Amino acid sequence: MGDVILTMKDIDKSFPGVHALDHVNFEVRRGEVHALMGENGAGKSTLMKVLTGIYQKDSGSITYKGQEVAFHNTREAQDNGIVIVHQELNMVGDLTVAQNIFIGREPKKGIRVDDKKMIEDSKKLFQDLNIEIDPREKMSNLTVGKQQMCEIAKAISHKAEVIIFDEPSAALTEKEIADLFVIIRDLREKNYGIVYISHRMDEIKMITDRVTVMRDGGYVGTLITKDSTKEDIINMMVGRVIYEDPKDHSMVAPDAPVVLKVEHLNAGKMVQDVSFELRKGEILGFSGLMGAGRTETARALFGADPKQSGKISIMDKQSGQLKEVTINSPQDAVKYGIGYLSEDRRRYGVVVQKSVNENTTLATMEEFTNGIFINKAKEKQVSEKYIKELATKTPSGDQLVVNLSGGNQQKVVIAKWLTRDSDILIFDEPTRGIDVGAKNEIYKLMSKLAAEGKSIIMISSEMTEILRMSDRIIIMCEGKVTGNIDISEATQERIMDKATRNID
Amino acid sequence: MTKKKKSIISDQRFIVLLVIIALTAVFSIMSKEFRQYTTLLSMLDFSYYDLLMAIGVTFPLITGGVDLSIGTGMVCYALIAGTMVRSHGWPVAAAMVLCLVLGLVIGALNGVLIGIMNLPPFLATLCTCMITRGAGSLCSATPWPGLTQDGGWFHSIFKITVGTGRSASRYPIGFLWMVLLVLLMEFVLNHTKFGRYTIAIGSNKEAAALSGINVKFYHVMVYVVCGLFVGLAAIAYAAVTPTVQPGTGAGLEMDAIGGVFVGGVAATGGYGSVIGTFVGIFVIMLLKTGLPYVGLQANWQQIITGLVLIVAVLIDIIKEKKKAAM
Amino acid sequence: MEKLKQNPIVKKLGLNRILLVCILILMFVVFKVVLGSKFPVGDSIKSTLNYVYFLGFLSLGVTFVIATGGIDFSIGPVMFCCALVSGYCMTSYKVPCVAAMVICVLIGLAFGIFNGWLVSYLSVPPFIVSMASMNIAKGIASVFTKTQSVSWPLASDPTNGWFRNIVSYKGFPVGLVIFLVMAVICGIVLYNTKPGRYILCLGSNTEAVRLSGVDTKKWNMLAYIICGFLVGIAALFFVATYTTVQPGYGDQYNNEAIAGCVMGGTSMVGGLASIGGTVIGVFIISLLQQGIMAFGLGKGQQMIITGIIVIVAVYADVSARRRKN
Repeated sequence: MGDVILTMKDIDKSFPGVHALDHVNFEVRRGEVHALMGENGAGKSTLMKVLTGIYQKDSGSITYKGQEVAFHNTREAQDNGIVIVHQELNMVGDLTVAQNIFIGREPKKGIRVDDKKMIEDSKKLFQDLNIEIDPREKMSNLTVGKQQMCEIAKAISHKAEVIIFDEPSAALTEKEIADLFVIIRDLREKNYGIVYISHRMDEIKMITDRVTVMRDGGYVGTLITKDSTKEDIINMMVGRVIYEDPKDHSMVAPDAPVVLKVEHLNAGKMVQDVSFELRKGEILGFSGLMGAGRTETARALFGADPKQSGKISIMDKQSGQLKEVTINSPQDAVKYGIGYLSEDRRRYGVVVQKSVNENTTLATMEEFTNGIFINKAKEKQVSEKYIKELATKTPSGDQLVVNLSGGNQQKVVIAKWLTRDSDILIFDEPTRGIDVGAKNEIYKLMSKLAAEGKSIIMISSEMTEILRMSDRIIIMCEGKVTGNIDISEATQERIMDKATRNID
Repeated sequence: MTKKKKSIISDQRFIVLLVIIALTAVFSIMSKEFRQYTTLLSMLDFSYYDLLMAIGVTFPLITGGVDLSIGTGMVCYALIAGTMVRSHGWPVAAAMVLCLVLGLVIGALNGVLIGIMNLPPFLATLCTCMITRGAGSLCSATPWPGLTQDGGWFHSIFKITVGTGRSASRYPIGFLWMVLLVLLMEFVLNHTKFGRYTIAIGSNKEAAALSGINVKFYHVMVYVVCGLFVGLAAIAYAAVTPTVQPGTGAGLEMDAIGGVFVGGVAATGGYGSVIGTFVGIFVIMLLKTGLPYVGLQANWQQIITGLVLIVAVLIDIIKEKKKAAM
Repeated sequence: MEKLKQNPIVKKLGLNRILLVCILILMFVVFKVVLGSKFPVGDSIKSTLNYVYFLGFLSLGVTFVIATGGIDFSIGPVMFCCALVSGYCMTSYKVPCVAAMVICVLIGLAFGIFNGWLVSYLSVPPFIVSMASMNIAKGIASVFTKTQSVSWPLASDPTNGWFRNIVSYKGFPVGLVIFLVMAVICGIVLYNTKPGRYILCLGSNTEAVRLSGVDTKKWNMLAYIICGFLVGIAALFFVATYTTVQPGYGDQYNNEAIAGCVMGGTSMVGGLASIGGTVIGVFIISLLQQGIMAFGLGKGQQMIITGIIVIVAVYADVSARRRKN
């Protein structure tokens, strides 16, 4: 490890209603790989965005190469040698590798772009990195892993000295990750300062020299990786006291029937051989880190995305028996009484330019038409019933959903599925972007629904939420189910352990 | 080596070339008249303006946009410039420059509406289509100078006539210019910043902007370049149309745009080639020229162009879907 | 202004629509004052109404398509195709008038189905579909009629003259009544029936509607079918007013129909549509055409002015949306 190249001290940043960064400290030395860890929403990305000029800090100081700096945009940071390799790749698929690496700063030869030089330079970059990619290949023809390598090459070509990897392994295969590590080690040898953001414990142990842990926007501490255990790091990550009492035992009756059975579901790379059962009145928590394949599982189950194989059985309302069903589209799923509440409500949940009433009946139009006309009186009546029941804060049912807060939008989506009388509800991050007071309301509502006999699948990245709401917890990691534990045996550490790729 | 061979065969342009050969063969076998030199000559004559428009509109189409004003624009410029020659005694050279200037102005207008004011491309250019058509119909039917008249030299740009009357021999020199222009624009598309950013805008505008490219400027330029080519097309149009009629030109954009899609531009932008456009246009031109010889009225060609356009786009959509599935 | 917006009557009618009506009246007054005797009130109203009839149906039709976030600018040529082919059947194959009228509407429907299928099920971009079917419509019409213009029967025609009663009967504007009734029906379909609800919602957020278990492709296609049907009807009104149709034309009406629609407050981005607005918009466009003609200006100026109006209206819509988000 060399001398300190970058120091961030006492960085503070607030957004309306959120204290995103609370006096965070962070430093990077030349020739080290420094991990930045924390749960989702701990403030890692925000910190890096402050560093690279996407956000401006409220207070604190950034010292880079001995000078205090404040970048105003990524371009400025780039020109000074701080680059970020994004989680979502920023690539122009129809251009070649070389063209992408030099986009916006093409070398010129007369009026023409000097492609020869670009290809030569790219080749040299790849040679230095020991990567085999043809710079003349079209970017969209490369695998995600290779595209990531190109991003790295692009970063280095900016004469970077500090390279930030934002969850680089999220979309990579094992082999690709191994290749990536070779490159990162090599970069370390060459005295680059490297920031490595990740959730994956084993990777952290494998590749990093130091670990800085953040929690709830605050700085927890920095450890030397080889002197600390995995447990140390997990404890620092979760260490918070949970104010709400976690559930200590399942509320589901022991003889409650299974209403949904999923066997060997496969859908793309993110859903591999997923099997689970959901019982009547149960809240089944789906825990895991971002990109673990939970949302993908839900979407495949719901027919929103195509699946390759798998058997889905649903309890028949009349006979009470499990019956295999084919779900190829959301229409099928809705027919069988499944409702899906997406994490991205504005995109997948509500039609924001329409009223509360209209959204409430969207999935149940048939029941609100006499012949061909919509029975607006009935629509209004039902919608208002749910407004009252769910305590949705809206001046009236005619209000456009766009004017409601996140929590109330969520209630509108819930009302939509209750109107449909769906028995199985999939809540994907039910309280994301919802403030604390409204969160509690949503929790109460979910408990009430479960008590009334609805079965709920709840995908959540918040540990407290999982522990407070679930009767049973399925833990996923990289598209596979890695754990299935009853709430009475669940602890944060156990869940985190399984979510970080320890299959037992 | 085998890899290279494969890529030539799967190249849409190569397939289109085969289609051209096949069409030529069919028409030649079925009709004796089709085989004559004069047929080829007249087909080439009428292909120039279509091709010039098509080269121009290739660029907006690669950005995922479109320019519907090219047909009416072309006629409008030819009319206005022709009026200047006829009624105001302008030299033909000045009229030609005027065509280009008008093309640039309307192109810039399209560019600003789309690139800066963010109007949907088809709607913005549908409006300029109406505007140019309206402006064109304010002129009276205008014949540009004939070959033997004062100022008729401009015909020689496209076709050199040696001798007079029936015994005259004619050489389609315009074809040479077209080939050169196509090569030039293929070069511009593949080897200049402008071309590169045109592709980038069509492929991933966000990423292009994040890479620090002045996306707005280049987006406007795409339509300016298109406008310039429409200006050129106006000259070529005047050369083959004895009297340019006001209020016409609607529908001419279809041949050009259809040709570009046959040439393999992606329906959603991001990919295209000027050479593809070149061969694509000749499919359209062959149909236009050949169908009457095999007993189908010229109007069938309109229907067929429409269907060809849809099929060409569908092929692209299916290809994309297959790719996404892999 | 804010106060005015809160006024219950204004709220009920919609501020935009009130403003549009004011513009309409103002235009009329200005034309009269400036042009004087060149703008005779009675005749002007009559010719405006004649224009309103066919343009109104086109506009109503395209309102549905634009509500889904799509576009159809083949409507003008398709209208001509309907009128030409069915008219040719009547004049050359002696098909009875009623049957010809039915054929006319059926052709419109067929184009609607074709366009809708391509857009919804094969995901061809709407503007490409429009371009293609514009050409196909023109081509079919020309081929079918052998590039001859077709004249529908005159009012004096003893057997078939009756069909002109759809426009006016003994001076009573039947056409206006039919148009308004149709507008009301369209309004009811769009705001009070399941298909209309789905069309508006999917124009606003297709994915959310699909995830609610709705067959979005089907309903998206329906919008184009409704449009096709109304285009067929527009064709009937066109020939009942103007008698003769020529193959190869009809493009200009695309823009005028879209202009009426967008001016009336239907958003190009989809999801927001106003039938009432479209009706008023159509009146404004039609009156404008008459005014321009009364000024001694021709088709050329009409097109230029309509073009500019659409640009302004769409830009207003685009920038208003952007401010909202």
